[in-house]
Amino acid sequence: MNKIKIIYFTPVVIVLIFLIFLFQLLNKDVKKLSSALIEKPVPEFEMQTLYSDITLLNSNDINSSNVALVNVWASWCIPCRAEHEILMLLSKIEGLDLYGINYKDKKINALNFIDNLGNPFKKIGVDKNGRSSMVWGVYGIPETFIIHKGTVIYKHIGPIHLNELENVILPILAKLL
Amino acid sequence: MSLGNLGNILMLTCLLASLIQALYLIYPHTSFGKININYRVLTRIIFITCLASFLLLIYLFLESNFNYQLVVNNSHSEKPLIYKIAGAWGNHEGSLLLWILVLSFFNFVFLETKIKNTEFKKYVISFQSLMIFGFTLFLLLTSNPFLATENITNEGLGLNPILQDLLLAIHPPILYVGYVGYSIVLSFAVGGMITNKIDQEWARWLHPWVIVSWIFLTAGIGLGSFWAYYELGWGGYWFWDPVENASLMPWLAGTALFHCVIILEKKNILQSWVILLSILTFSLSLIGTFLVRSGILNSVHTFASDPSRGLFILVFLAIILIISFTLYAIKAPTLDKKSKINIVSKEAGILANNWLLLSSLFVVFLGTLYPLAVDLFLQKSISVGPNYYVLSLMPILLLLLLIMIVGPVSKWQNDKLTNILFSISKLFILSLAIIFAFSIYFSELKLTQITLLTLCLTLMLVSIKNGIRTNRNYSIISPSLGKSLAHIGFGLLILSVIANTTFATEKIFQAQVDDLLVIDNYKFKFDKVNQTKGKNFNAITATFSLLDNKTVIETFKPEIRIYSNPPTVTSETSIVRKFLADIYIVMNIPENADFVNVRIHIKPMMSFIWFSIILMVLGGISSIFFRIKLIK
Repeated sequence: MNKIKIIYFTPVVIVLIFLIFLFQLLNKDVKKLSSALIEKPVPEFEMQTLYSDITLLNSNDINSSNVALVNVWASWCIPCRAEHEILMLLSKIEGLDLYGINYKDKKINALNFIDNLGNPFKKIGVDKNGRSSMVWGVYGIPETFIIHKGTVIYKHIGPIHLNELENVILPILAKLL
Repeated sequence: MSLGNLGNILMLTCLLASLIQALYLIYPHTSFGKININYRVLTRIIFITCLASFLLLIYLFLESNFNYQLVVNNSHSEKPLIYKIAGAWGNHEGSLLLWILVLSFFNFVFLETKIKNTEFKKYVISFQSLMIFGFTLFLLLTSNPFLATENITNEGLGLNPILQDLLLAIHPPILYVGYVGYSIVLSFAVGGMITNKIDQEWARWLHPWVIVSWIFLTAGIGLGSFWAYYELGWGGYWFWDPVENASLMPWLAGTALFHCVIILEKKNILQSWVILLSILTFSLSLIGTFLVRSGILNSVHTFASDPSRGLFILVFLAIILIISFTLYAIKAPTLDKKSKINIVSKEAGILANNWLLLSSLFVVFLGTLYPLAVDLFLQKSISVGPNYYVLSLMPILLLLLLIMIVGPVSKWQNDKLTNILFSISKLFILSLAIIFAFSIYFSELKLTQITLLTLCLTLMLVSIKNGIRTNRNYSIISPSLGKSLAHIGFGLLILSVIANTTFATEKIFQAQVDDLLVIDNYKFKFDKVNQTKGKNFNAITATFSLLDNKTVIETFKPEIRIYSNPPTVTSETSIVRKFLADIYIVMNIPENADFVNVRIHIKPMMSFIWFSIILMVLGGISSIFFRIKLIK
């Protein structure tokens, strides 16, 4: 048996530390990630809307709603498609305004998506290159924000599953409405 | 027996067979050591069960069997045939099954190769089986594709026209073959270390596997990029998106690896370096999978994510990494042969290229994981933009190109710097002259651009010359042709990317009919405006002709569509792909204006970017055939 040298164990140690890091990442439920925006006012932004090149979607629109839900989506995003039914349900709630931000999408695809699946949104802003959504801290879609009188209350990363709708989203909305 | 149960039984058989085979890693060292298991039969059983269950899944999709949850969620009876088939792997469960199939396929092919060293072969197969076992367990516990549906339905949910795209159907499996291909490389490393067989012969056996995986990974990344460019229409082809980075990292490590294997094969040195790279490459594939599948990185590519899946992959990753690195730590002192590398030699060049590739890997790694770390420790959201990558990778790229020019022309062992420089000097001066002339006559370039472009051009010319010089008998199956093609491809890729980013132009015009619009060297004539009727919209179509001395070369018809229900106005881009550039025309009609707002984009060298990736893949293919011939 050859002599074992400690130095060669360096990769194992590095790997262990890295694995612990990954484990921490996993442990921290991304879906509850506190957004830097929570309890802050709606960020200033302005974008063109999907249904016209002239009207705009901006912070004032969102602030004018008592309770607003902003959903960032795209037609190419598979989870967004899964989530859409839930948004359609949410759009039936009285007193809640849904706003969409169409993210890095082709206009025609986005329109087809809405045509086929229905339009839950009061207004849809278009963020063609993803730049305007940066103020929202969007890093993956779908993402959903709940806003009460101009203040961001909650951020949800990833599609809203049915159980999350029941256990998280609806209770929050119930308190606000 | 229902088909789903058949699928479950097949996967259970595979689980059991791979477990028995994997135990071979331990039991020669226990009191059961005498038991003789037939690894040939086991390997075939594993492969056949995986293949059968994958075909079964495709069959379920083909007959739109809505008794199964996976089919309900991802298919639809009216889907075109090809997309029904692709639907089988266009989801988490199916793609995992495909992943296992590829693992077992590589295992099977390896079994059939003519390597005489049975001991080594058994260990490689056993380690590969351990991975098959792990993933099959993962599949059965958390992501069973054969789950029956709870609510009976007659129709599936998956009829999304946007996702019915041929590229979208073939890009993931090709990428997987690349990712998973590196698993056998890791098994080679483990098997080689256990049987103390890390030598030149080992490197020769390993070489084709490294290239095969590289070819698929390169093609997979290329296709993904192509899809993003043409389908998503964001006008870009690479976004430094974390998931793109996750595929780029194993590519960089794999590229470093296969250059290193060449040195080991020729000079019998750098054993432990090759082992480390083998482990690293597959680990990066797994880490990429982990980040994407666990939902830690939410992006374009996220399938409905589930934390329990993430945990499983992480545990699996930990087992694989700890086994292989511990084995390395124990065996490392015996691996390396004493050696000295001359600073001016081919091996020194390859080694330098290795360090540069790993430096770029580090840059990408940091850029991808840094935001996650900041998020974790400081509870802040940050994003790392393209600027970070461009600025940090630029100097590395410069050196890499330089090494790629001088490396291949230098000799093994020892060479004279003056000889090397002399042999490339003419082509270098020629390239410099061409770029300078271009800069003077067409458009002024910055110093960094001149340097980079000159190096790219020199690399291409030197590689062409090299390819011709070393391949006198014009065989298409030759390592030198492969190398030249791949290097020409890389040079062309960087050249086109730089040209594309530098010369992309866009201009906005307020135009009326009969106006002549000039952008760069292109002249467009605004011919007419028409009103047309579409299926559910009215359109205003403008016609522009691209002119070359009064003759019309190309016609563009951008549109404005007015939908009535709901009231919508959209602009349809008209794109023409030309040899030298892609041309986009978009228009708008402002209210109460008697002119049209026209935007013209010129994106040069787009087709060259795709062509360069094809060249690299062809280079890989050319050398793989040579390598296979070498083993036989």
